[in-house]
Amino acid sequence: MPRFFTGHEAVVVEDATARIAPGPRDDPAEAGHPGAREAGVTDYIDMMLGSLGLIGGTEVPPPLVFAGGPWSNRHTSGPDLMASFVRLDPVTRIAWRTRLTGWQRQYQQGIAALDKLAGGDFTRAAPAEQDKILATQSVSTFTALLFEHTIEGLYANPEYGGNRGLTGWKDIGFPGDSQPRGYTGDEVERSDGHEPVDDASVVAAVLRLLGAL
Amino acid sequence: MTGTAVVIGSGAGGSFAAMELAEAGWQVVVFEKGANHFSNLGGEGPIGTAFANDSLATQVRNFPGTDPEVFPRTWRPNQAAAVQYTGSVDELPQLVGGGTVHWDAKVPRFWDIDFQQLSALGPVPGADVADWPFSYADIAPYYDEVEQLIGVQGDTEAIPDIVRKHAPRAKQYPMPPGPQQRSSIAVAAGATAIGLHPYPFPMAINSRPYNGQRACNDCGFCSGFGCPAVARPAALIPLRRALRTGRVRLVPETMVTKVRLRSGAATGVNWIRMTERGPVTGTQNADIVVLAASAIETVRLALLSKFPDQSGKIGRRLMLHSFTDGTAIFLDERMHAYRGRSITQCAEDAADPDFPGARAFARAHGLPYLRGGLMELGGSQDPITEAQSYQTLLGFVRSARPFGTDFKQLMRSSILRDRLAGCQIIGHDLPYLGHTVTLDPTVRDVFGLPVARVTWSPGQHEQVAQQFWIPQLKKMMTKAGAGVALAVPATENSGGLPTGNHVMGGMMMGADPATSVTDSYGRVHGLGNVFVADGSVFVTSGAHNPTNTIMAVTLRNIRHLAGTPA
Repeated sequence: MPRFFTGHEAVVVEDATARIAPGPRDDPAEAGHPGAREAGVTDYIDMMLGSLGLIGGTEVPPPLVFAGGPWSNRHTSGPDLMASFVRLDPVTRIAWRTRLTGWQRQYQQGIAALDKLAGGDFTRAAPAEQDKILATQSVSTFTALLFEHTIEGLYANPEYGGNRGLTGWKDIGFPGDSQPRGYTGDEVERSDGHEPVDDASVVAAVLRLLGAL
Repeated sequence: MTGTAVVIGSGAGGSFAAMELAEAGWQVVVFEKGANHFSNLGGEGPIGTAFANDSLATQVRNFPGTDPEVFPRTWRPNQAAAVQYTGSVDELPQLVGGGTVHWDAKVPRFWDIDFQQLSALGPVPGADVADWPFSYADIAPYYDEVEQLIGVQGDTEAIPDIVRKHAPRAKQYPMPPGPQQRSSIAVAAGATAIGLHPYPFPMAINSRPYNGQRACNDCGFCSGFGCPAVARPAALIPLRRALRTGRVRLVPETMVTKVRLRSGAATGVNWIRMTERGPVTGTQNADIVVLAASAIETVRLALLSKFPDQSGKIGRRLMLHSFTDGTAIFLDERMHAYRGRSITQCAEDAADPDFPGARAFARAHGLPYLRGGLMELGGSQDPITEAQSYQTLLGFVRSARPFGTDFKQLMRSSILRDRLAGCQIIGHDLPYLGHTVTLDPTVRDVFGLPVARVTWSPGQHEQVAQQFWIPQLKKMMTKAGAGVALAVPATENSGGLPTGNHVMGGMMMGADPATSVTDSYGRVHGLGNVFVADGSVFVTSGAHNPTNTIMAVTLRNIRHLAGTPA
């Protein structure tokens, strides 16, 4: 797999995304709950930024933008047909070349900005300091991009390089792709029973906000 | 007479047009702007596909759609405003199969009063309400035929009286309904509790093997996704019939840039195709040209081709449906809408202008009547889209640190996915002359051609209808047991941008060239051999998912053309 990040860049991205979606090593509140680090979010982002090659000016086939189909056989036996990526038509290739070139630049500049705010090396800052840096106005566009890609690296199908061992899905009780098995009529229709929502304060805050709309 | 026909687009309209023409003996070239992600289309047995249960490709990376990086559109709310958005504006898949690639295959019928809206309900100040050139009774047999051809599940016994009255039907659906989603069952109970009449949503999804294609196995990746099982093949069925005549050439990844006109007729089309070495252009001669690129792109092509415009209505009367987004959050139960064909129940009561209280509310707001639209009961979103919602919400409730364990706790609580049941109203959109598709004066696509500029926002009728129906929607969700019941106009969630993916109007049908763009069979007034076969010919928008109506109208119009000397 083509790699885009330098060694240092990869560590900065791993630390930053682990603040956005912490795991047991990053936040005591997440004991038992794998996060970005455990799911391999940095691998996801690195694979994406290198998905057309585009490193050192050359394109490396095959493109890794759209996983194949029609299914992975994750819950059944048989080959993972999602692992062979779809051919990109030439117009779509232009779109992704443009998009990825922009993101590559944003990552290089964003990582440099995080390092600078940390006085030279983001990875040496304490977790609370890293949080403060990521919440700084001057890097808010980059933090938003990191957040978006963290989400994708946690919850996209693992063929894209993240969601390692399905840890992203398992942590939220989501089984992921279900083809070619699908669900039975009973699984579709039945109630899974009484299960009150978590009483975490952030859940209450969001429900209050939504309820007030 | 037969000859060579060019069909532009391979979706709901183009597939039926190609089938009718090819079976009548025409040589047909179908140009499709996007790629072909299906195999064995012209063969026998199951159709193969590259689509999978893949939220990233589908929801984030535009796999079933067009990429706004190369094919953007622009949007502004009204004729006086500057463009406020450049990107994806109500984009339908531009791929082999068109909008039927990503749809969740809902096929309710428009009502009798939709086809004769002016006669039945009278004019509305500020709007351009008109009758279609045919009635519900005229189109009903074509609806029947579409249902048999593409395969539809439904239950005529369960259809409520209000629907029987306005959309009577002669035939049973070819397949029975499949399993009902838990979230749909729950919300439908709330609908019944407030006096509405929910029933199993008719949908073009195989509940048993049909047309040699698989039965749906309720994988849960439905609305917005390409179907990995090809259990809702839709346009692929008429496309296959067309290809099997041996007279049809399907040309993907090729965009028609102009219909070539000479003395009141088309002589063919210009096309362009991107290759690894840059764009390649060419022409294709034709005896007739059928535009089926979906409403917004068909209008764009008509404008790029400088069609005659006797009525001044090309691109006017764009109708998009004014959606209301309802969100029912269940605090004591997970609704697991990730299982099942999405949204298995609907209610049509809100499409009725005579619903108790609706006329009085309309009059109090200066309108003769109001119509909401079909309510889609149930369904939810995928984890990536859910997480994006929390990313936004954390900015409000945790501004000092809008990420971290708070984000992960929200994901585990899943209030906006596993505990959610969506309740959308497909809001009837009146035709307004000021709602338009025009060519953007500055923004160009990857080929250097002006893109479509959409000018649209909910009109007065649409806003009043939403004011009337939003409290009912909230009451329904609360009665269903939702701990939190939200309902807002969809444009409030999107900053005004239209996002419903129902696009109609712009090439209005009518008998009179002074007041319409295409004739009673979709032939462009002033162009003897140019026809339109997509949602752009619609005269009104109904209050329902429009795709099967596009198919039925195309079948009626193109069959007339195919059987009549051109």
